[in-house]
Amino acid sequence: MTNTLSRRDFLKLSGAAALGGFIPPQAAHAAHKAGQINAKGEGYISTLCEMCVWRCGVLAKVKEGRVVKLEGNPEHAHARGNLCPRGQAGVMTTYDPDRVLTPLIRVGKRGEGKFRKASWEEALDLVAENMLSIKQKYGAEAMVFSSTHNLSQVQFENLLQAFGSPNYGTQRSLCFNAMIVSNLMTYGMEEPARDYSQVKYIILTGRNLAEAISNSETGDLIQAIDRGAKMIYLDPRHTKTAGKAAEWLAIRPGTDLAFHLALINVIVTEKLYNQNFVSQYTTGFDELANSVRAYTPEWAATLTEIPAETIRRIAHEFSAAGSYALAHNGWRTSNFVNSFQTERAITILNALVGNWGTMMLAGAGEESGALGKPPQPAYPRVAATRLDGVPWKYPFVPLKIGVFQQLRDSILSEEPYAAHGWFTSRQNPVLSLPDRQRTLQAFAKMDFVVTVDIIMNDTAWFSDVVLPEASYLERFDPLAMLGNRIFIRQPVIEPQGEARSALWIYKQLGQRLGISDFFQYKDEEDYLRQQLAPTRVSLEELRASGYADMSQTKKSEANKAPHWNTPSGKIEIKSALLAKAGYAALPAWEEPLAPRGGQFYLLTGKGARQTQFGTQNNKLLHKYEDEQRLWMNAKTAASLGLKDNDLVEVKSEVGKVYVKLEATQAIRPDCVYLMPGFGHISKGLTTAYGLGASDSDLHITYTDPVSGSQALSQTFVTVKKVERS
Amino acid sequence: MKPIKQYAYLFDTTRCIDCRACMIACTVENQVPMNDSYIWVAGKDVIGEYPNLKRATMPYHCMHCLEPSCASACIVGAWQKREDGPVVYDDTKCIGCRYCMNACPFDVPHFEWDKGIAGGALITKCQMCKQRLEVGQEPACVQTCPTGALTFGERQELIAEAHKRINTHPTRYINHVYGETENGGTSYLILSHVPFKELGLPEIAPTPVNAVSETVMSGTLPFAFTWGAVLTGVALLVRLRNRGKEIAAAEVIETEKSTEETK
Amino acid sequence: MKMYIALNPRLRLTPLVWVLLTLMSVGFVVAMIRYVNGIGAISNLTNAYSWGFWISFDLYTGVAIGSGAFIMASIVYIFDLKEFRPLLRSAVLTGFIGYIMVIIALLVDLGRPERIWHMMIYQNHTSILLEIGICVMSYTAVLAIEFAPVVFEGIKWQKFAQLIHRFIMPFVILGVVLSTLHQSSLGSLQLIQPTKLHPLWWTPLLPLMFFSSAVCIGLAMIIFESSLSSRAFGRGLETHLLEKLAKALPIALGIYLILKFGDLAFSGDFQYLFTSGTMSWLFWGEIIIGVLIPLFMFLFKRVRQSPSGLLFGAVTLLLGMILNRFNVSWFAISRSTDIVYFPSWMEVSISAAIFAAGILAFGLAARYLPLFEHEES
Repeated sequence: MTNTLSRRDFLKLSGAAALGGFIPPQAAHAAHKAGQINAKGEGYISTLCEMCVWRCGVLAKVKEGRVVKLEGNPEHAHARGNLCPRGQAGVMTTYDPDRVLTPLIRVGKRGEGKFRKASWEEALDLVAENMLSIKQKYGAEAMVFSSTHNLSQVQFENLLQAFGSPNYGTQRSLCFNAMIVSNLMTYGMEEPARDYSQVKYIILTGRNLAEAISNSETGDLIQAIDRGAKMIYLDPRHTKTAGKAAEWLAIRPGTDLAFHLALINVIVTEKLYNQNFVSQYTTGFDELANSVRAYTPEWAATLTEIPAETIRRIAHEFSAAGSYALAHNGWRTSNFVNSFQTERAITILNALVGNWGTMMLAGAGEESGALGKPPQPAYPRVAATRLDGVPWKYPFVPLKIGVFQQLRDSILSEEPYAAHGWFTSRQNPVLSLPDRQRTLQAFAKMDFVVTVDIIMNDTAWFSDVVLPEASYLERFDPLAMLGNRIFIRQPVIEPQGEARSALWIYKQLGQRLGISDFFQYKDEEDYLRQQLAPTRVSLEELRASGYADMSQTKKSEANKAPHWNTPSGKIEIKSALLAKAGYAALPAWEEPLAPRGGQFYLLTGKGARQTQFGTQNNKLLHKYEDEQRLWMNAKTAASLGLKDNDLVEVKSEVGKVYVKLEATQAIRPDCVYLMPGFGHISKGLTTAYGLGASDSDLHITYTDPVSGSQALSQTFVTVKKVERS
Repeated sequence: MKPIKQYAYLFDTTRCIDCRACMIACTVENQVPMNDSYIWVAGKDVIGEYPNLKRATMPYHCMHCLEPSCASACIVGAWQKREDGPVVYDDTKCIGCRYCMNACPFDVPHFEWDKGIAGGALITKCQMCKQRLEVGQEPACVQTCPTGALTFGERQELIAEAHKRINTHPTRYINHVYGETENGGTSYLILSHVPFKELGLPEIAPTPVNAVSETVMSGTLPFAFTWGAVLTGVALLVRLRNRGKEIAAAEVIETEKSTEETK
Repeated sequence: MKMYIALNPRLRLTPLVWVLLTLMSVGFVVAMIRYVNGIGAISNLTNAYSWGFWISFDLYTGVAIGSGAFIMASIVYIFDLKEFRPLLRSAVLTGFIGYIMVIIALLVDLGRPERIWHMMIYQNHTSILLEIGICVMSYTAVLAIEFAPVVFEGIKWQKFAQLIHRFIMPFVILGVVLSTLHQSSLGSLQLIQPTKLHPLWWTPLLPLMFFSSAVCIGLAMIIFESSLSSRAFGRGLETHLLEKLAKALPIALGIYLILKFGDLAFSGDFQYLFTSGTMSWLFWGEIIIGVLIPLFMFLFKRVRQSPSGLLFGAVTLLLGMILNRFNVSWFAISRSTDIVYFPSWMEVSISAAIFAAGILAFGLAARYLPLFEHEES
């Protein structure tokens, strides 16, 4: 029987207070002046996507005060005119019926989800009152701030630093600390850029680009393969990226390190490296040659379960491609504690074939050095140590990145001191941190919890105050730069309900917290004008075209000799900094934890229609998403008496979940996989609530001491069929 | 885009990552309700047994046949193959009989099962974003594809491009451009690295499936008149013969009577 | 002119009538839900199974079992075999009621039934369905005209009855032509599915197959309907007439059999006869039940002359041929899904309601109209 619930006209949703055609809304008015929207109220407005961190340029089609279609901006290098599935589904995020559109103040118990609507005045006053009270009683450091990478982050950091707290949690230690720290040690920069335009041979270690989509990079990879580049893919799962690979290596989890060490061994022993490049631009090669002697393909074969001939052949093929070979540094590298060593090995692989300048380039980071900013005084001195152990426990982790899971654990242990308040913005730590029970316990310890979000996500559900941010299609954010171009995020429709931009929220809070000197902008547009002050670009021009090119300050760099921001000024195969701190200066084998009999590796990964823990309520993405089930090798399942779609209990040391089984060919027999992001516990997410299971309920917290990276794949689980009573 | 002869799509499985941006873009562009879709995944994706696996998927939608069976079958002519390529729908004519759904060899058209008389249940399918073609834009699915798996352009040019790709990478593709001849040719052309049936595509001969049906239908009126004439003829002949028999029988009686009388 | 209708108290309140009325009421309510909430609200039809029980039963089977009317009209009027007159009127009525039932079913099954008249102003001349639509519409009118004399006689408007009777021939010819067209066209509907209808059934000769089987079905329907009426209304059975019809059946069935197997041989489809799993079972089911058994039975005079033999043979033929209609329109069509369709009870209740209404209508006609008399020539 077909579903009789008529879910028609999804765009005509409650809460969307679109103004009629007679009085053009503010947003349309400005755009109209700029020539974007015609008199009928139709046209395209240029802005930036926020469905993931790739942040593609978007042309939003608006009609009578509603956004009706999103398209990639051809002028934005990350979009190139295309949008990934999440980008296309952005309209549904903005028009989600579960949007929080007024400030909310908790009335029931924390976690009950009982809130009452409040005015901004009341809510902001309450937040400031609580924050100041905590500051007074326990010190500013007792207030913890956490946020995930976004364009208003600079003002979020401004807020917490002006407030005087050192405690800053980002998602990075759950994601790419291993990669970032390794790059910092080896290249002196967080992330080199990659150029696929001439690549001939690619090794992807994980980095499921076909599903963990980074729009333009995914496109580049596919086009490279289309042109004939050979791609080798290491993953215990056969993902959609594996479907594009010339060879899929179903490597044993935790042993990527052995594979890469063996590659280095072959390249070094057989002298297949780029001698010129190595001698000119690297340090520590001789010590490397010595240290990798034992890491033969035969040695690696037993660990990785990949034949030695294969490893040897790949080493030959990789080095034969010379500077047109690329070993991808990875992205989310929070797999095993030894992932940091793996990352170091990969960076060294790249150095050995001398692909700097061809495949790897100085990172085009988000430097907004060319842009201005509002004046502000110096930040107050912070005496307190950070709860997340940076730098006293994790000397190599940059302050901006932190070790988020350690922050949570320190809150629980109250070492070195207790935290009393938690301020979250654009983040869902209840679901993202490993070991959800502990996270909830940490929240329970708080005297005060406030969350800025656009929807009643799980962290908002557990908060005392929820402040509604306008969605990315409804707000201004600080300007972003990509390469030499400035891009603007501007409202394409009026914010619905009472939702406001983060720039406005932080300024309002700043005023009430007595730190208004740090927020010297009148409103969002004034902030942007101050950012544009050093340039010759006007805000109106920028709004009309969506972007502006800056002068070519980078051109001269291309002619200079390559230089790396390391102690030696070269690529450090042997890392001076690591040596100094007493860590392994060269990549060395570390035996990973392994499951005992009857246990499986619990793998994690990404899906094309999800972005971590914030998109599962989006009805459009949900419509085209596969059901979240636990992947298990079909033969293994059969041997356990499990059938496709059986309900199973998945249990780890710290928790258990119930989920349906997917018997598949696409995974190693000793592994199971659960796509993260599901198992939401907020009843305010009417689509996502009750959907699937959360892997954060199962994850055990393991932190790599060097990079602070969480080891998400070191959790092992048992799987049992649930007997229906 | 300049106005060109006949539009078509070219899809290349080797570039598709099954991200489904095309489907979401289509749904948003065409305001498709939550319980329907103009594009969907038809194949099974994972092919083979661990660890020897392949993957292949395709965004399955209307093939925009050159000889569309839906247009041939529709009782009120609601479907039309436009000169510039799309097979489009006139929703003012449709009576919801769903013959087109049966006629389509690709099982493409959907029906609005949840609409009563007031709502007006209609047939739904991809119409090549005709509203976008009008303003010189590509269909939404093509426009958004992040990997270039879907491209759009003039049909003959795309066929040439498809063959060029096959020739450039001889071991990469099945040596056939699906849609070049199937069902008399379609405007959705497919290159694949796996057999087409793995993508959910049926095996169809170059003769359009509506060929026999249209031949039979064109013979209807001639047949009707002929048959009517034959039946009329038979009826007349039978009556003539019966009349003849009656007259003969009556004459016999008359003869007997007169014989009687003369005696 | 006085109208004369005798109300027979025996008709009221029999258990059968109660059952029929209940079925009709349930179906009516379900139909109302359909009109408010859509076909999906009451049926298990899906995009993969857009035609289901209604089309197979109410349309295909309904039209097939209405074929008795044109067979009888041909026998009596074209071949001028006046002895068969006693069978004519009830055959025409069965046909007429049958086609009304088809139209009512269409008013439920069509997505936009209020637009059913569109086929008169928007016409796609390559569409077989258009031909069926126009023919069914016209033929129902012809049947109305052919049956009108019975009604007029019943209400004692004799002059009108005689008037129609005098000019009946062109309508009969038209009726037979229309019947030939749409009986065969129901088969032609599937011509456009050469890749979806199983090779054991798909052939360019589908229209010929359907017409040929319609002749057999028509003959069997006359036997069946006469047998039932004689039992229901306590009348004698015209066994001598039915015996002659039954005698024609082995020939008609034989022609159908030759066509069927000849075509399979010609197309090289013999390979599918025993190797197609369920399809083979369905095929042999319809051949054995619908063709071979009745063909064999009616070779024997003893069977042809026995009321129970006649009825059994006719029923067997009808069941087998109904299976054929179901096969061609539903069972033997390959689908793009593994999920199997089965009609919901509400779908079946609509068909049951229509069927009940048909029986009730026939019964009322039998009671109040001179159905079993025949005019003298």
